[in-house]
Amino acid sequence: MLPLWLLSLILPDPHLDLRQEAKFRKRDLFYSGALFLLPLVWPSPHLRYVMILAGINAILALGLSLFLGYTGQISLGHAAFFGTGAYTTAILTTRYGFPPLAGFWASAAVAAALAYFVGRPILKLKGYFLALATLGFGEIFLVVVREAHVLTGGVIGIFGIPLFSLAGFSFDTYLKQYYLIWGVLVGLVLFSKNLIRSKIGRAFLAVAASEDAASTVGIEVAHIKLGAFVVGAAFAGFAGSLFAYIMSTANPEAFGLNLSVLIIMMVILGGMGNLYGPITAAIFLTWLLDILSTYQEYSMPIYALILILLLITFPDGFGTRLNIRLIYLISYWGRKKRRERVDL
Amino acid sequence: MKGKNGMGALIPCLILVCLSWATPGYPAGKSPYKIGVNLELTGPWAEVAKTVKKAMVMEVERINAEGGIDGHPLELIIEDNGFDLGRVAANITKFSKNEEIILVVGPFEDNLQATSRAIAEREEITNIIICPSNPMLRALKQRWSFNIAHNDIIVSQRLVELCSARGYRKVLVFHAAHPLAQSLAEYFKRFGEEKGIRAIISKETHKPTDIDMTPQLIKLKPIIEREKVDAFYASTAGPPGPIICKNLRALGINIPILGTHAFGFGFIIELGGEAMEGVEFAAGKTVVPYQLDEDDLVRPIVIDLDKRMKARYGVGVDQVAGHANDTALLIADALKRCQGNPTRARFRDAFENTKALKGSMGIYSYGPADHDGLTKSDLVFIRIEGGKFKRIKFPGFE
Amino acid sequence: MTPWAHIPQLAFSGITMGAIYALVGLGFVTIARASQIINFAQGEFVMLGGMITFFLLKGVGLPYPLAALLAVLLVVIIGFLVHIMVVYPLRKASVPILLIATLGASIFISNTTALVFGTLPKALPAFWGNQPLQIRGVFVTPQSLFVLGATFLLLIFLYLLSHRTVTGKAMEASSTDPLGADLSGISRNLMAFLAFGVSAGMGAIAGIFITPIFYTSYHAGTLVGLKGFIAAVLGGWGKNSGAILGGLVLGIVESLSVAFIPSGYKDAVAFVILLLILNFRPKGILGSPFIDSRRW
Repeated sequence: MLPLWLLSLILPDPHLDLRQEAKFRKRDLFYSGALFLLPLVWPSPHLRYVMILAGINAILALGLSLFLGYTGQISLGHAAFFGTGAYTTAILTTRYGFPPLAGFWASAAVAAALAYFVGRPILKLKGYFLALATLGFGEIFLVVVREAHVLTGGVIGIFGIPLFSLAGFSFDTYLKQYYLIWGVLVGLVLFSKNLIRSKIGRAFLAVAASEDAASTVGIEVAHIKLGAFVVGAAFAGFAGSLFAYIMSTANPEAFGLNLSVLIIMMVILGGMGNLYGPITAAIFLTWLLDILSTYQEYSMPIYALILILLLITFPDGFGTRLNIRLIYLISYWGRKKRRERVDL
Repeated sequence: MKGKNGMGALIPCLILVCLSWATPGYPAGKSPYKIGVNLELTGPWAEVAKTVKKAMVMEVERINAEGGIDGHPLELIIEDNGFDLGRVAANITKFSKNEEIILVVGPFEDNLQATSRAIAEREEITNIIICPSNPMLRALKQRWSFNIAHNDIIVSQRLVELCSARGYRKVLVFHAAHPLAQSLAEYFKRFGEEKGIRAIISKETHKPTDIDMTPQLIKLKPIIEREKVDAFYASTAGPPGPIICKNLRALGINIPILGTHAFGFGFIIELGGEAMEGVEFAAGKTVVPYQLDEDDLVRPIVIDLDKRMKARYGVGVDQVAGHANDTALLIADALKRCQGNPTRARFRDAFENTKALKGSMGIYSYGPADHDGLTKSDLVFIRIEGGKFKRIKFPGFE
Repeated sequence: MTPWAHIPQLAFSGITMGAIYALVGLGFVTIARASQIINFAQGEFVMLGGMITFFLLKGVGLPYPLAALLAVLLVVIIGFLVHIMVVYPLRKASVPILLIATLGASIFISNTTALVFGTLPKALPAFWGNQPLQIRGVFVTPQSLFVLGATFLLLIFLYLLSHRTVTGKAMEASSTDPLGADLSGISRNLMAFLAFGVSAGMGAIAGIFITPIFYTSYHAGTLVGLKGFIAAVLGGWGKNSGAILGGLVLGIVESLSVAFIPSGYKDAVAFVILLLILNFRPKGILGSPFIDSRRW
């Protein structure tokens, strides 16, 4: 089983210039192409399945990075929006016979609406208190889902969610599901890039740089933060919907604090404030978890240990230091060469 | 600038490389029959899953030492699913895409079996689940899934017999919030009513991972007193069972307590302590190996299993180990009947045709309409006395 | 069936649990006062106290008091280790990173506990006796009285520590006036280090006292930790008296709520209270010396 870390090395290092990254570069085509060819070049069903999970995690990480990455505020309840999306799809398709595409959009809408109502009061808080409040929200979500079993099936969850299908074309094999999920991701990345390049996106960057300075130039900081929160939740809603279609079940245990922590780890490791980093980190972490399951009992402690080590080594994300270090090395070497020539 | 971080990106990659290459190899010989095992080795059911793993490993080694199946050794490929639905699905998918794997055992837990069974049905690979089936899944009539443990119907029937023998007329049922516990409660009520026993199913429930049930029991206490209930049925599996008993006694509630067959797990008495005295339930024969009838056909098997478990692992046999051991036995037996050509379809058919196979828990017979294997007579009545499991018998209820 | 009849029994078990929340909250406050860090692994110290004592008692066979003492010492060492290995390397990092790091430590501790000690819940023998006493219709276990006593004593200990010892005053100083503390030669890292030890010790003692009543299990620490933090915020973030008051209030309200709503919602009660407090009165009941600062 060839290690997939090779792939994550090839995928781009996070750029330091946020605005530059938002432009459309040749690199985007290259990576889209690589992703498109991957399951064809390597036709292992296991690879496809893990990449499907990685894709869902990537959508989650991308959404959260718009909030966490640009505003620097932690949301420990993001898994709740994921769950909201999954359950919305589950309920609408199994009980009310909604067509899959409608369920898909509805999930994002419901998650976004929930984020709006929850975010308005909560986002007044900052730092640890915001983290705590979002955590509280996440836990309340879990408890409500477990208890309201008439609506959500309680601890057992909902079964028999149909496969995603579009105008009669059903996404029933792993290959089709792979393209579905990564296709959605590509679409969301395009959306995000457009967002960053727009006026709202510039406001995001301003708020990320300094909230006070941003408010002095007339940016409504609270609205921006709420907007980022809602967009992140909408992405999570999409991801949840896709998750429900792939798993064909929805169960509360999948949407807990551990998942929220995992998503935050992806954003942090990918580097805050950029788009591709979290996606790379999502692929990396999903594969890590899969490889770890062969370790049986030891999988969770090893996972936590690796997380802590990664945090200590890369508090700014994977690629940033590598990038800086490499550039510095090259420029230092270049300067040294020039100095030697002058000294002669 | 600090120097060390430039090489830093290699660290996680090296970690991944080492982890993905560090899997153990197997000795060569006649090609092994591979069995995928998908267990919750981390998470709340880890203890129980580990017992399953230990018992299966021991039995497989014994079979291999005796020459395997016509010279083919059995090989278990064990993966942890961490009690997570996504990983359950990923593992069984991984197994089913591996051409050499003939069947998948697991997961153990009731909450997870539905996902695994659905995938097994789609991929057409036999899925053997250790925990009992439940009505919702039986209704799906899945061809490729089989259960090992005594199902809810026979357990409930046996428990009703226990109540009849003891003369209980009113029983309060407190069940956990998962399908098996609920269906146990409902079948108990239905069969009980046929025999004139009134079962009150409490609206309060508990989660399988709860470690304190005092709030629910405080609310049930007035009902117990007002209705003058004869016995309390804790319809649950795992740690909540003994915890409920302890909570009840701490609240001063002293009526007799009834349990499910899951009360036959090894850790139950130690967990509940003194509160377990007098608890009665119906469970598998491996719980009381030395108290079975002399003429019981499975008695020698149970005693032998107990001796071997003690010799190797230092603990005797219990309900879970019995199930796991029998799983291996059933698989080996079905493989033998495949006569050298164990394709997935042939294995499934062979397994479904298992008739009167003696395992430690009883005598297994499967068929197209019965994917559960055991019958009512494979359950015995047990009472906890003096900190030990003691078999009790009631005349007329054998 | 009127809910009101359950009240005395529920209130009492609420006070018992509330004392534990108070102790956990005190642990959070102690660390936060010394270092401005929230240690999400606090609940794990409580869990470890009970777990390690159980292991020393049943597995190694030590006498009960010795096992308890040794367990507290071990947990204090673990607290020091958490500081050295997780918090100190990240001392200059941003809030999100520190938060996730301590959460990661919490996940590591709880999962390693599951690995080492198994996943079954464990209970310790009661200190005095198993038979509940009956006081006016309410069943009171002697252990609960021990819990309340221990809380009281630990509170006194903390008071003496911070007002009567030099080290304690140094810890106080490094939180109320970091710059002044630096100028006076107080090493803030050392203060944070000590604070971790003190909090770990208090958490361990809380765990040992509570495990005879409530079982402990590898995942019990996380929830207890969160609720302890909520208690500290509820009562007035940053004040010892706030943590105590918040703990008791939280414990009682949570317990009483069971009488009126389905018991499954019990865990959500603490978080609902949290959201209400953060929304309407972030300073907490008794007010907080910290809330105006930028960090929070």
